[in-house]
Amino acid sequence: MASSWFRQPSILPGFGLTLGFTTFFLSALVLLPLAALVFKTTSMTWSDFLATVLDERAVASYRLSFGAALVAACINALFGFIVAWSLVRYQFPGRRFVDALIDLPFALPTAVSGIALATVFSPTGWLGVRLQEWFGVQVAYTWLGVVVALTLIGLPFVVRSVQPALIEVQRDLEEAAETLGAGPFYVFRRIVLPAVLPALVTGFTMAFARGVGEYGSVVFISGNLPLKTEITPLLIVIKLEQFDYNGAAALGFSMLLVSFVLLFTINLAQAWSRRRHVGAGN
Amino acid sequence: MAGAAPRYEKPRNVPAAVRAGRAGLISVTIAFLALLLLAPLGAVLAQAFAEGLRVYLETFENPDTQAAIKLTLLTAAIAVPLNTLFGIAAAWAIAKFEFRGKSLLITLIDLPFAISPVIAGLVFVMLFGSHGWWGQWLQDHDIQVIFAVPGIVLATAFVTFPYVARELIPLMQQQGSEEEEAAITLGAGPWMTFLRVTLPKIRWGLLYGVILCNARAMGEFGAVSVVSGHIRGLTTTMPLQVEILYNEYLFVAAFAVASVLALLAIVTLVIKTFVEWRADRRTG
Amino acid sequence: MSIALDQVTKRYQGVPVVNDVSLNVRPGEFLVLLGPSGSGKSTLLRAIAGLTEIDHGRISLHGKDVTHLTARQRQVGFVFQHYALFRHMSIGDNIEFALRVRKVRAAERRARRKELLELVALQGMDDRLPAQLSGGQQQRVAVARALAHRPEVLLMDEPFGALDAKIREELRRTIREIQRELKITTILVTHDQEEAFALADRIGVMHQGRLLECGRPDDLYTRPATRFVSTFLGACNLLLGYRTSRGVRFDARGTDRPHEVVAVLRPEEVELAAEEAQVRANFVGHGVVEEALFGGAVERLRVRMASDGPVPVAPGGNNPRLGSLLEVSRTLPEQRQFPVTPGLRVAVGARRIHVLPTPISSFTAVGANDAVAGQLVDSPLLSTLGARMQTRIGRQVGNGHRAPPGMPVLATGPGSAEIARWQLRNGATQLLCLPPTAPLPHHVVIHTLDAASRRATLAVAASLLRHVAAEAVYLVIHPTVSLEAERAAHMRELLDARSSALNEHGLDMRTEMRPGNVTEELQRELATSENSMLVLGTSDPDAIRWDWLASVLEGDPARPVLIVNSARLELPVEA
Repeated sequence: MASSWFRQPSILPGFGLTLGFTTFFLSALVLLPLAALVFKTTSMTWSDFLATVLDERAVASYRLSFGAALVAACINALFGFIVAWSLVRYQFPGRRFVDALIDLPFALPTAVSGIALATVFSPTGWLGVRLQEWFGVQVAYTWLGVVVALTLIGLPFVVRSVQPALIEVQRDLEEAAETLGAGPFYVFRRIVLPAVLPALVTGFTMAFARGVGEYGSVVFISGNLPLKTEITPLLIVIKLEQFDYNGAAALGFSMLLVSFVLLFTINLAQAWSRRRHVGAGN
Repeated sequence: MAGAAPRYEKPRNVPAAVRAGRAGLISVTIAFLALLLLAPLGAVLAQAFAEGLRVYLETFENPDTQAAIKLTLLTAAIAVPLNTLFGIAAAWAIAKFEFRGKSLLITLIDLPFAISPVIAGLVFVMLFGSHGWWGQWLQDHDIQVIFAVPGIVLATAFVTFPYVARELIPLMQQQGSEEEEAAITLGAGPWMTFLRVTLPKIRWGLLYGVILCNARAMGEFGAVSVVSGHIRGLTTTMPLQVEILYNEYLFVAAFAVASVLALLAIVTLVIKTFVEWRADRRTG
Repeated sequence: MSIALDQVTKRYQGVPVVNDVSLNVRPGEFLVLLGPSGSGKSTLLRAIAGLTEIDHGRISLHGKDVTHLTARQRQVGFVFQHYALFRHMSIGDNIEFALRVRKVRAAERRARRKELLELVALQGMDDRLPAQLSGGQQQRVAVARALAHRPEVLLMDEPFGALDAKIREELRRTIREIQRELKITTILVTHDQEEAFALADRIGVMHQGRLLECGRPDDLYTRPATRFVSTFLGACNLLLGYRTSRGVRFDARGTDRPHEVVAVLRPEEVELAAEEAQVRANFVGHGVVEEALFGGAVERLRVRMASDGPVPVAPGGNNPRLGSLLEVSRTLPEQRQFPVTPGLRVAVGARRIHVLPTPISSFTAVGANDAVAGQLVDSPLLSTLGARMQTRIGRQVGNGHRAPPGMPVLATGPGSAEIARWQLRNGATQLLCLPPTAPLPHHVVIHTLDAASRRATLAVAASLLRHVAAEAVYLVIHPTVSLEAERAAHMRELLDARSSALNEHGLDMRTEMRPGNVTEELQRELATSENSMLVLGTSDPDAIRWDWLASVLEGDPARPVLIVNSARLELPVEA
């Protein structure tokens, strides 16, 4: 029980038991299956792998998955910020309700939001009809539908990241800036935005990462036309249904790599935010 | 002197602009959320009850739907307790001790958040499927994992893996260990310390983590869809049943099942709001 | 002994936060551990309770070794700084917790709870939740809870830290009364010296992991042994004085070989008068009142002494050409007798001074040119020592005709051994040679070439180690082939060294006896750490193996070496 290089001593019990269980469960449930995927992919030849990954249909699906996720994350960064701002800074009737509603996409099964969005935005749906009439735009069964679905999925990530950061921005800092003669936009740009930026980047990246991999809410609204409205996760499912295990593994492996890169980015953004926080604090 | 200028400027210009900005931002917020969140939720209920309450209720007499509900409950009943146990153990190890590789462990726990649900299903196909790592061995011993209930449970557990841990880790880190130390100096043993001191402190956070984990477990679609094989009455969960019914243009039935899942989501949010309200009241 | 600590050491990432602390607390005694934040006092308290494991040493409670017992088994009462009350339990359940754990019957528990709530004057609060109580009340509950299982030792970690001044004073009185009534052995940790004075039977002052001094509050205040304790316990002027046949003087003129000492002059011991003739106490010099602040019962003054007057020990901010600044405090009757205003020239007397029994008074960086001297002054070790000892660091270019007073400091490198030898032959009683870029030592190796120099060497080493958080080891080296009787003599030397270091200087160090060759063993011990330092004592500088020492001073890496020449070092005697 003496101090070692591995852990700092503590008098609390249960370290071995809890850490042992944690690592075992993590390894068995998450790491081992991931390893199986990597193993399957590495059994392919390099040229087979490239042929699968750079196939025309696959590339078109990347364009849609990444493009739509990027657009949706941008929309969420803007509107999510406004939503978070309103919730943190303003008191208005129904604020608590709105605040609770933000988490709906977390709690609502993706298939449910998928069929609901498809119904609302279909050419005969409540909103679909109006959009068609007023703007001549069709949302469902086009790439716009994918964007809408991914916006819904990504919203809580941005709002829930930005909210605590906005609460942290001390009102007295802003008031100090105001007494020094700064206008509201200047205060926002020079005081609020820099403080919230790391959280916004984190939220944006999380929404983007989630959007790239999203499946359930998209497949009902996207139309699923090869080369046009087919997202990468769907392509993986199709390959599996055609028993093309190697193809599915190759695409899955590529997406896994992207997930790791995004996860790493999120960690960097959070470390950045912590550093700023520590630097600005005591 | 320095304060004189803003004092005279402010009342004339800024408050009107601020007030307008405030009203504008609140309107944008409400409009955006109404379009994006409320409209679909409303659509689910409207479609479910489009042909009245009786038709709505009748849809649940379908044996396939009933089987899907049972399978969903079974899956959640296995995955949620497992992940709860894991979440408590992981949070205890991470929040109460300092050890090497802790940040790596936290990142790994978060991993399933960042991975596409389809890939979550895919990895189990690669492990247990007929062409997978252990596929041949399983086939030789006549054990079915993929396209069967075990695969569904595993994929669900994978996807919902981090929820309880993520809820508890920050909570326990913030609470510190002083009360546990006090209990130990007063003579309490490990179990007593955990049950009488730690558990009461984290119970509300734990409750929310479990509820959220449960909602995700019951609602998981992508991962389960990959491993289920869509065998009616056997390997379809509620979300898969929704898909099948929807694709067969049985809209009322599809939305009726969806409405149950939506209700689950709403209950989850209500509990979350209640937990937060309690937390606010304690600190405030 | 109720609590006995023996050489307790606790390291975090290799750095000792509690460094070789030995301490005995008598039954029923109230001991206050006092020190600035980060001095290791809380860690030590937690170690006693078993909340922190220690790396070295022994802890006994009531004569029973508890070093390897868990906190649960030690059965002490512990009061946490932030109360650590179980927030979801009522006050009554909090207090009964320890009894419930011990499966005490309900009726008995209730009786004890009632008794304890009465003791802390919180009758009838049983059913409240901690959040419904004020901070002071919560801390009383914490005390009652810690006492429930009738521990024989009560440990309190800054229990009043989070409370405001008025409640703090009231609670202090309550704690003192409870402690008296129960006669429970108590250790309380605080950084507030006023609190320490108000509560303690004895105060132990901690600094940088070491227990510097331990004693009765009035003793520590009037006769501190160290610079740190004298400045930490209340305001104080530290002055460089000279011991002469006529007592301590503050100017060196007229004395041939001034022996430098550090003197403590408390602000309230300063006497002011219009002229030298009217000063009843020891005359110190003339000065000009620079600042006078009315402070209710006492008046606080700052008097700028004439530039040829006493030399302050603290170098910071005191311009030597302007003369030292003296802190003075006077009572109302004194003020009435001789009212002063800023700008007034006054004669200053010292009613009572206390000479610190520290052998290191001041440093003088000696370099071949100004740049080298400057490098030495800025070197990590010397600048740290200067700042922590609050002492003067002078500069001198070239050797001069005699070693400077205090401790000369030289840079290592080619030729340094020769200069060191010259300094020791020409009046230096102690000498520090260091590489100007060397970091602070972590490991200090102490060795004396002869038994006669041991006491002086340990005194200097203790003085040094009080200001540098390093581990010390005292090496006794005897020839490989030696007689039984010789080995016994060496063993005696070792034990003597340890007990004198501990008793006279409060220095707790590791001691080791090794067979072998002196220079080889020292070299080996120095090589065990990258940042090691050698303290070498002798009563005859010519007995040093200078060729070997040159290799230490001029080698790569060169290591700091402190040489003590005990033949010339007069140790100040405690007043």
